[in-house]
Amino acid sequence: MRTVIVDDEPLARALVREYLAAHADVAVVAECGNGFEAVKAIAELAPDLVVLDIQMPKLDGFEVVELVGARSGTRFIFATAFDQYAIRAFEVRALDYLLKPFSQQRFDQALDNVRGALAASTVAPAPAPSLQGLGRASAPAQPLARVPIRDGTRVHVVPCDAIDCVQAQDDYVEIRAGGKAWLKNQALSDLEAQMDPRRFLRVHRSWLVNIEAVSRIEQATRDSHVAVLRDGSRVPVSRGGYQKLRAALS
Amino acid sequence: MQAPLSNRRGALLYVVAWVCLGMALGAVCAALAPARLINGLLFALPTTPVYGIAAGFSTYYLCRANPLGTRPAPLLIVMLAAAAIVAGFMWLAVLLGWNELCRGLGVPWAGITVRTELSALLFALGVLLYGLLAAINYLAIEAGRARSAERRALEARVAAQEAELRMLRTQIDPHFLFNSLNSISALTSQDPPAAREMTLQLASFCRHSLGLADQDRVTLEQEMTLVRHFLAIEKVRFGARLVTEEALEKGALACLVPPMIIQPLVENAVKHGIGQLPEGGLLLVAAWREGSGAGMRLRIAVSNAVDTEGQGGGAGGIGLANVRQRLACAYPNAATLAWKREDGTFSVEIALPAQTRES
Repeated sequence: MRTVIVDDEPLARALVREYLAAHADVAVVAECGNGFEAVKAIAELAPDLVVLDIQMPKLDGFEVVELVGARSGTRFIFATAFDQYAIRAFEVRALDYLLKPFSQQRFDQALDNVRGALAASTVAPAPAPSLQGLGRASAPAQPLARVPIRDGTRVHVVPCDAIDCVQAQDDYVEIRAGGKAWLKNQALSDLEAQMDPRRFLRVHRSWLVNIEAVSRIEQATRDSHVAVLRDGSRVPVSRGGYQKLRAALS
Repeated sequence: MQAPLSNRRGALLYVVAWVCLGMALGAVCAALAPARLINGLLFALPTTPVYGIAAGFSTYYLCRANPLGTRPAPLLIVMLAAAAIVAGFMWLAVLLGWNELCRGLGVPWAGITVRTELSALLFALGVLLYGLLAAINYLAIEAGRARSAERRALEARVAAQEAELRMLRTQIDPHFLFNSLNSISALTSQDPPAAREMTLQLASFCRHSLGLADQDRVTLEQEMTLVRHFLAIEKVRFGARLVTEEALEKGALACLVPPMIIQPLVENAVKHGIGQLPEGGLLLVAAWREGSGAGMRLRIAVSNAVDTEGQGGGAGGIGLANVRQRLACAYPNAATLAWKREDGTFSVEIALPAQTRES
């Protein structure tokens, strides 16, 4: 079992490595001190298991899972001192949730879960349906403050404040911020559900716009409008979207 | 208004005001009667303050017994009007009786001829003065009520703040505790002496913070001891990522500060500053005095490296707001808290009066 350990504290990583040493079938293929390294390592090494801290610099554990989550076969165990993330952890289909400090026995139990899950997945192909959408619908008490976007093995983190608009493109969304654009593999409605609804408005079937980026609304044809953004780009606005936008801007 | 004669200065002022009024009334009466000024003054001067005091007490008790809003307004008006008319008649009776007494002396400098017009005028004046006194009493009662409501609200706020403060002072971030225990757990097999060292640090930190929480003020030296225990523990967790430095003026260490006031700043600096940097950074605690004599100020600054690409906000969080509130409570209008973010550094500076145990 090829394993990656992710924690920003060297001692916490050492502890996991020590616990893993008791298992002959486990090979630690990488240790990462932050989320960026983790995304890179997971993308390159395709490990079977990732033991993941949640509070880390740059990218937190959930953002790491979100960015690499599409890859089936990699299982996640969260290890954290915070108990309030447990529900969210299972929503992103973590196999276990270890509360620091944890014992060797508790850790072994978690590893058994992973073995069971891996065995099940070799018999039948991994059940791929994403529960992310389900989790999103109920989970985010707090709207997203930044959007992590993966580009190969590199990761961009775009603050939500900087985003001008988002356009749906097939399976992707194109996120535009400060004159640049990024593609992210996500449904627009999924992203919309995560964003602050007071700031981001769905003005069109395939457009989400940051209210603060709108500089004016123009009449396009007799019954359609366009929103002109601060960077000069034009976003189509549907009739329903126009009403929402007018209400939000007034 | 307090009971009219409840304090000496107020009573004196009240009587003086009525004496003045009596002199003016005397002059007017002398002009209208017509009579010599001395006759007018003798007519009005002794009686007016007497009426003032009698009417003052009367309105005071009447207004006290019937506060605004407890009875229908028309009833109140009728009652007051009746009282004013009765008072007016009594005032007239006293004046006339006194005048008769003066005239009975048979001397030219006492007594005036009171005609009907003057009687009517005096009666009206009595009624008006009574009404005026009632209005003043109601104003005073309302003002007093507003003031006491304000004071009660203030007291409630102070009590709430104190309760919150007590809670804050005894509170240690549980995640800090769990993460530390996890580190100790890791060290027990890898470096037993270090595990023991960290256990001791953690114990000292807990004991020290409990001890400090009971006190109203501690010296900066004591507060720094706590901060050092905390940083020693965090250094074990973060390893080389956390570099700390102190720049403390010797005299400043003897100054008094509210307990656990620097601790949350340092905790924030580690959690939101160094903790967000993969390569870590420097955390600096500095304290020095400024100015001299009674106006001497103690300034304490905590600055740390931050992620330059991090979200612009960051500050103004719960921790800073709490520290600001506690300072405002402990030193009303005398303490300040300011923070700034420059390039890769975030710094918080607090300034408060420099007090020592002796002063």
